[in-house]
Amino acid sequence: MAESASQPHFGAPDDAGGGREGEITRRQFLTYTLMGTGGFMASMLLVPPLRMAVDPLLKAGEEKPFVPVADVNEITDEPKRFEFTLKINDAWVKNQATTYSAWVYKEGSEIVALSPICKHLGCTVNWNASPEHPNMFYCPCHGGLYTKDGINVPGTPPRAPLDLYEVKVEGGKLYLGPLIQRT
Amino acid sequence: MQRIYNWLDERLDLSPIWRDIADHEVPEHVNPAHHFSAFVYCFGGLTFFTIVIQILSGMFLTMYYTPDIVNAYNSVKYLQTEVAFGYIVRGMHHWGASVVIVMMFLHMLRVFFTGAYKKPREMNWVVGVLIFAVVLGLGFTGYLLPWDNKAYFATKVGLEIAETVPIVGPYVKSFLAGGDIVGAATLARFFAIHVFFLPGLLLLLLAIHFILIRRQGISGPL
Amino acid sequence: MAGERQDKASVKYVGDSRIPVRREKRLPKPYSEYPGKTEPFFPNFLLKEWMAAVVFLVGFMALVISHPAPLEPHAADPNDTTYTPMPDWYFLFLYQLLKYIPGSMIVLGTVIIPGIFSLLLLLAPWLDRSPERRPSRRPVATALMLFVVASIVVLTYQAVASHKAQQAEAAAATPPPPPPPAAEGAAFDPEQAFIASCASCHGQDLKGTPAAPSLVGLNLSVDEVVDIITNGRKGSMGVMPPGMFQGTDEQKKQLAEWVLSHQ
Repeated sequence: MAESASQPHFGAPDDAGGGREGEITRRQFLTYTLMGTGGFMASMLLVPPLRMAVDPLLKAGEEKPFVPVADVNEITDEPKRFEFTLKINDAWVKNQATTYSAWVYKEGSEIVALSPICKHLGCTVNWNASPEHPNMFYCPCHGGLYTKDGINVPGTPPRAPLDLYEVKVEGGKLYLGPLIQRT
Repeated sequence: MQRIYNWLDERLDLSPIWRDIADHEVPEHVNPAHHFSAFVYCFGGLTFFTIVIQILSGMFLTMYYTPDIVNAYNSVKYLQTEVAFGYIVRGMHHWGASVVIVMMFLHMLRVFFTGAYKKPREMNWVVGVLIFAVVLGLGFTGYLLPWDNKAYFATKVGLEIAETVPIVGPYVKSFLAGGDIVGAATLARFFAIHVFFLPGLLLLLLAIHFILIRRQGISGPL
Repeated sequence: MAGERQDKASVKYVGDSRIPVRREKRLPKPYSEYPGKTEPFFPNFLLKEWMAAVVFLVGFMALVISHPAPLEPHAADPNDTTYTPMPDWYFLFLYQLLKYIPGSMIVLGTVIIPGIFSLLLLLAPWLDRSPERRPSRRPVATALMLFVVASIVVLTYQAVASHKAQQAEAAAATPPPPPPPAAEGAAFDPEQAFIASCASCHGQDLKGTPAAPSLVGLNLSVDEVVDIITNGRKGSMGVMPPGMFQGTDEQKKQLAEWVLSHQ
């Protein structure tokens, strides 16, 4: 406020008759002190609220735990969709049950679990959903395509492969953990 | 900067407004640098300053606060305990509310005891009393928002008191409560009144207060 | 001011209704009527004001950081009957005022007295019309304001004191919830029972509090009072829950007699 408002004084001396150089310097000095004081007050008042407002950016995300999703013998070579729920803390809404899903199949002896979230704009992809593109993941929103291992098909909107879940097998059960991003 | 200012000034005629604010002479009897006792003339300015703090911290608090009986308390608690600096911003708003009342009361006493409300400044005194009422209303409505027992029961008692007013009392109570009990509707209403209606009114009254001060000048020394 | 900029002269909206060609300059109001020096608002005076504001702000932020705003450990529980309501401190004097006013005349405390003083405040410029400004030469206005300020201070102080006393009482009363177990054998003291079970709402002097009405001048029989103690009652100020006093029927009767004997 003080900055823009003080402008007319720099160019236009107030007393047209007087060549009182000292007065102008003093006035400018006062103006700068005023701006400093104002800046100090503004920073004192704005730093806590701004720090509070950007807190979500600086907070470390919660580590996702491994959760049991399916029996290993349910998993075949064909991708199959499994749903699982996870209790997450959404700010002050604690332990909110949220449903996630994964496309899971066997590649030889290894189990692959893909996130169904399209890397284009976050729609949900489906296996074998488009008759023109068999044996591919297809996103209905903008026609994004991924091969069976989740790699995006060049020429379609997505620009990265589908995320992978960390996979763990214990006691015949499949556990899924945090997501791994691929480029 | 100078050129931008000139361009705007040519079209909007800003200079007279700015000159009026910047160049008006302030007499020494209100200037604490001349007589320390003149600090009593600071209370009005400090009231305004605290109101600025209230508006600023309040705006940021609504980024987290949720006016809903299930989430209100939890969101305040989250903001207070889990958000970095959240307790400071809430503290600014909480203590600021008390400081505004104190400063405004001192300002009112200063104006009263220096007889500054006398002719020609009667209107501005009335505006000031209205500002006082609006700020008390802000205090009352804001007290409910954290939705803890203190807030809930104080509001309940406050509404019971409103109900005792002859004739209109029960209607005032139902209007403020938004129903028969202090509950979900009351909280939503108090939030709306606290965040939109009263601050709007307050800003309007403050603008009138300041314009009148510039029109009428500061009252002379005793 | 004398140095009018040249470019200003070049733009003239002659015959244009939007901006007049040139009007008289709005010069700052002169303060020549006051003795002593003056100084311009910007930047000289504003700097001093802002320095005062910095001192204030530093103190304020120190308060904010050292004293976090209070928040109770639980969300509001409308069914909590033990909670003693307390308004924010700046309404305490009004709250306390109600304690001195009998329930039947509550309008006096909620509307009439605060209304009269608010109106006096609002209309002060028209009630105190003499041009004299010194407080010492306006004895009525000064005395009235000092009286109001003193009353507010005293009432607020009393409200805080009585709230603290109530809380201490509640804290003392809660640990042994069913009054004294020893009371079975020992002599039953209705006064102690009243203080433990009833006084937090009805007041130690039986004259009532904002939570519950006065018990002075009841037009009830002993049996009716026993019935209220046992089953509660929906009264003018709210609901008295049943079973506030747990005791034998004989003890309830003694308590009722004690209450009715204090008129």
